Amino acid sequence: MSSLRDIRKRIKSVKSTRQITKAMKMVAAAKLRRAQENATNTRAYAQTLWKLVNAALLGVDAADAPHPLMVDRPAKRIDVIVVTSDRGLAAAYNVNVGRQVLKFIRANPDAKVEIVTIGKKGGEFLRARGFKVRKDWPGLYSRLSYAAAQEVAAEVTERFVNGETDAVYVAGTYFRSALVQEPAMLPLLPLKSGMGYRGDVEEEETTAAASMLFEPDRQALIEELLPRSVSVGIFRLLLEGIASEHGARMTAMENATKAAGDMIGTLTLAYNRGRQAAITKELMEIVSGAEALKG
Amino acid sequence: MAKLRVEIVTPEKRLLKAEADEVIAPGATGLFGVRPGHAPFLSKMSAGPVTVSAGAQKNVFFVAGGFVEATATLVRVLADQAEPQASIDVAAAQKRIAEAEAKMKDYELTDARTLALREAIRVEQKRLEVARPK
Repeated sequence: MSSLRDIRKRIKSVKSTRQITKAMKMVAAAKLRRAQENATNTRAYAQTLWKLVNAALLGVDAADAPHPLMVDRPAKRIDVIVVTSDRGLAAAYNVNVGRQVLKFIRANPDAKVEIVTIGKKGGEFLRARGFKVRKDWPGLYSRLSYAAAQEVAAEVTERFVNGETDAVYVAGTYFRSALVQEPAMLPLLPLKSGMGYRGDVEEEETTAAASMLFEPDRQALIEELLPRSVSVGIFRLLLEGIASEHGARMTAMENATKAAGDMIGTLTLAYNRGRQAAITKELMEIVSGAEALKG
Repeated sequence: MAKLRVEIVTPEKRLLKAEADEVIAPGATGLFGVRPGHAPFLSKMSAGPVTVSAGAQKNVFFVAGGFVEATATLVRVLADQAEPQASIDVAAAQKRIAEAEAKMKDYELTDARTLALREAIRVEQKRLEVARPK
């Protein structure tokens, strides 16, 4: 059995760990609140934008002269934008995104998948498994804004329009709540009419879209709307990712704090037991010593 | 009288969610007003002021392009950038104009970057106009 001094040392170290995890939890909780607000606001914009896109595309026959962003080619080359965080210690947040990318690559064995990363962790995960990262956007989180998302969008859009890639996906995380984050694979390009803000076809009320008036005209509006829906799609997953990261970290740190508390309890019990045993032993020695002298 | 629900959102934030009697927005072909009962309408927006009036109260926002969606009961402004008139930073806008003008000298007149910069300057000038109504 470890000596009393060893146990005392361990209690001290676990206590300081608990202090750190507790602090990290508080920081994550504070950041989560802001991130969540940002994500919700952008969600509102994205949803409305999709509604307008669908309204504008209604009745336009995409088959004969598709918009450059809507050209549906056989997906031989696919770009995947991987959105993860720069920092770890957020439970399975980053790993879940990485696993999803692996699954996607396995599900498309005929396609050449090229990887674009936002956030250090995704690149680390994929490089460790032998994948090459075509492009990284380092430090994007420190200058996060819609303009930054537009830069990322411009790069993949150019590749798509030039025919260097046939489809673009974003691998990220939808934020549901602090406890629930859902890995997501959002198809970004080609754009499809009827696509909802989550990338799947949604049955949305189209507010009398058929009789809608357009100014200056439908085609000009489509030209303006489509590029925006690409950059907004990226921006929204960035924000949802940040909220998910803080949510995951908060939960992880909460659990770590609890585990540290339990451990301190167990160690204190062992320590007290050991101390009592030592006292008992000492007493017995004194008593038996006195007995021996009497004799 | 029926009211209009008005929302002004940008990709980054929601600036306004309120009820109003009338909204005047800068459409693709000039300012246009929306009152309750308007026909379903979708317009590209140019840079300029969005005026939201509720009763005697008037709120003015600057928007830098985007879209307006109007229905009989709803006006949604999807702006690329937007800010309330009162919080426009005049000095910062002037600085951005000066910087863009300086940068423009480096490029040929027909360069795409020149056009982009000229567009940026126009947006900033509109911003200043909204900040200082004549």
